[in-house]
Amino acid sequence: MECVVQGIIETQHVEALQILLQGLCGVPKDRVRVHEFCLKSGPNLGVVPSEVRLLCDLAQPTPTWTVRHAGGAMRGAGAEQLSVLVRSVVESKVSNNALRFFYAVGYKLDHELLKIGFAFRFQRVVPITVTVTSANRMPRLHAIDDAVPLTPGIQLVEITAPAAGDNYNEVAAAVSSFCEYLVPLLHLSKPGVSTGIVPTAAAAASSLLSNSGGKAI
Amino acid sequence: MEADGGAAPSQGQLAPPAVEAVAPPKVERLNPVVQQQLNLESVKTRALGLYKTISHILEDFEAFARSNTTPKWHATALIIVPYASALAFFKYLLEAIFTGSLLGSQRKKKKSFDVISELLHCRQDALGQFSMVSMDLFNIVEDIKNVSKAFVVYPRNVNAENATILPVMLSSKLLPEMEAEDTTKREQLLLGISGLPVHMQIEKLKTRIDMIGAACEAAEKVISDCRKAYGLGSRQGPTLVPTLDKVQAAKIQEQENLLRAAVNFGEGFRIPIDQRQLPTSLPSHLADVLSFGDGAQNLGDNAGAYGKNTSSFSSNQGVLQTAGGQLIGRSVPSPSNAVSFDNASTPPMAYANSPRSGTNIMNTPSPQQQVQQQQQQRQKILQLPHQQQLLVQQQLRQSSAAGVLGQGVMSQLHDLTGQTQQKLQQITNMSASMQSQSLLPRIQFGLTGGHTQRNHPSQMLNDQMFGMGPSNPANMIAMQQQQQGGFGNISTHTQNLQSGMVNLPNTTQNPNFPQQRQQNQS
Repeated sequence: MECVVQGIIETQHVEALQILLQGLCGVPKDRVRVHEFCLKSGPNLGVVPSEVRLLCDLAQPTPTWTVRHAGGAMRGAGAEQLSVLVRSVVESKVSNNALRFFYAVGYKLDHELLKIGFAFRFQRVVPITVTVTSANRMPRLHAIDDAVPLTPGIQLVEITAPAAGDNYNEVAAAVSSFCEYLVPLLHLSKPGVSTGIVPTAAAAASSLLSNSGGKAI
Repeated sequence: MEADGGAAPSQGQLAPPAVEAVAPPKVERLNPVVQQQLNLESVKTRALGLYKTISHILEDFEAFARSNTTPKWHATALIIVPYASALAFFKYLLEAIFTGSLLGSQRKKKKSFDVISELLHCRQDALGQFSMVSMDLFNIVEDIKNVSKAFVVYPRNVNAENATILPVMLSSKLLPEMEAEDTTKREQLLLGISGLPVHMQIEKLKTRIDMIGAACEAAEKVISDCRKAYGLGSRQGPTLVPTLDKVQAAKIQEQENLLRAAVNFGEGFRIPIDQRQLPTSLPSHLADVLSFGDGAQNLGDNAGAYGKNTSSFSSNQGVLQTAGGQLIGRSVPSPSNAVSFDNASTPPMAYANSPRSGTNIMNTPSPQQQVQQQQQQRQKILQLPHQQQLLVQQQLRQSSAAGVLGQGVMSQLHDLTGQTQQKLQQITNMSASMQSQSLLPRIQFGLTGGHTQRNHPSQMLNDQMFGMGPSNPANMIAMQQQQQGGFGNISTHTQNLQSGMVNLPNTTQNPNFPQQRQQNQS
């Protein structure tokens, strides 16, 4: 299971967000360059289609593959009170013939995208990962080098933390309290809920960018 | 300075095993394993960086104070003095950690944090820096709390004088030396009035506090006057809320929707069918993964059979053909209500008395099989431990599909304690539908083995049962275990719950389904 929130930020403020995250997390950022394949199961695998994502991490010297399945979100009165989305997730590293394997089993490529950006992984009560990426689409199949951002002016910020069935409340609280630090720059919400941008983000960003003298960390 | 290797932890809590692994007791520096485990390097780096930042800010302050010798800023001067001591403490702390000596009390850290938060109320243009600094400080305080758990206080000298009080001081991690420091500071503070009787001391201290308070208020007033003079607004709210003009806001909203839909559902990334040919040159990570021939066969049509994207549903019901004339990606015309299975609508129209053949389940998807699978799932719910059965039964009582249940079941449920959980509503409604039908297929279910249900019922279970919350994993394990051979239990369970329902005619089921569906969707 994982707790997840998403938000958007204008591309011009991404650098300020990076500075803020660096100060908050205290760890260096990781580059993110992921080629994501979204596979949908064919009719031979059942009436209900399932979706599986294959992530190929291109930031490493040798590409590493991960398979990931995100289940439905938790529903109910308790879930509605949480400000984060809790959903079941299964993730695993796989070898590079996973794509062929899934094709052989009967999955079909629904769409693919390229995510480029950075991420911070740190510990704050629970391990939290903050990812800031721009979603790029490829004009032709698998044409990574020609990928262009789908929305050039806006990037996606995603904050996730792993959770278990018995501690998801604490994890949700930890993620929410961390999100409060990012309020000057962006609004965060459950995936699918539209938030808009923060009008005063420009002022916050400029103040973050201008004080580079005092931040000799 | 003694290392901590030989001392037993006074708190008796977790002593990391690396501490015991520090062999020689008189080593000057800490074992690098301990250092690594406690992440002392990063703490040190951060503390040093913070130290530099704070000194930088202090210099700014002092320069400003020197240039403006007006009484308004006396308050800040008063505050700077203990701040300097906080910095000194920090330096002491860092050296102490790395030479293996002992950590002091937590009080000073709190004091330094308070000092910094006071400083936050001062000069306005330093606020941006301070939010970072205070955050850093807070983080370091948290980390040092963790680090300090691994260290113990080891008194430098034990003699008759302090032998009796040492255990108490050790338990609070207080050093005799720091205690002495405290007393000297206190004496400094009470200089000149310590000889007086106590009530006069109190009065003098009170006047001092009042003076400082007055100075702070004067400073506040000056700050607010300056704010008004420069049009900066009050401290609490945002200074000026710049409004985006409508056009810009609309554009951003549109982009945001596009991006969110793209990342979460894949809108905007799907390539039209005619452009889905493998390029001649694949990127390096795909070169050995996909050979030329087999890639094209595996491209599903956009939005395909599963109709999650209603916009492209109708336009992509096509047959994709490669140059070799192979059929690719047939779109299966599925009933429209098969789409939102994950979102748990009620089952489609079911024919309660239609024959079900076990062998056809996987080959020909049909609405009947969807219902059948749901029925099997609901029966698995019945096989759950009793507590979960109670939960399900509570939902039955509280669901609006009471018409289907009949009086017999309701009477059994009345004495159950209620916990409203909407998470189970969909299961509830399906349970209702299942229960009324399970009399019939009792025999037939024996034919269908558990293996046919391997793929998507577990998916459906995972998705729909997810709503049961923290008790989930146990449920799913229980259900999976019972999935294999539990069909023999069906009869007993149905008898338990449906003793009052034997007379319920099956033909009344159909009219209830639309009713259920509407109730669900309302």
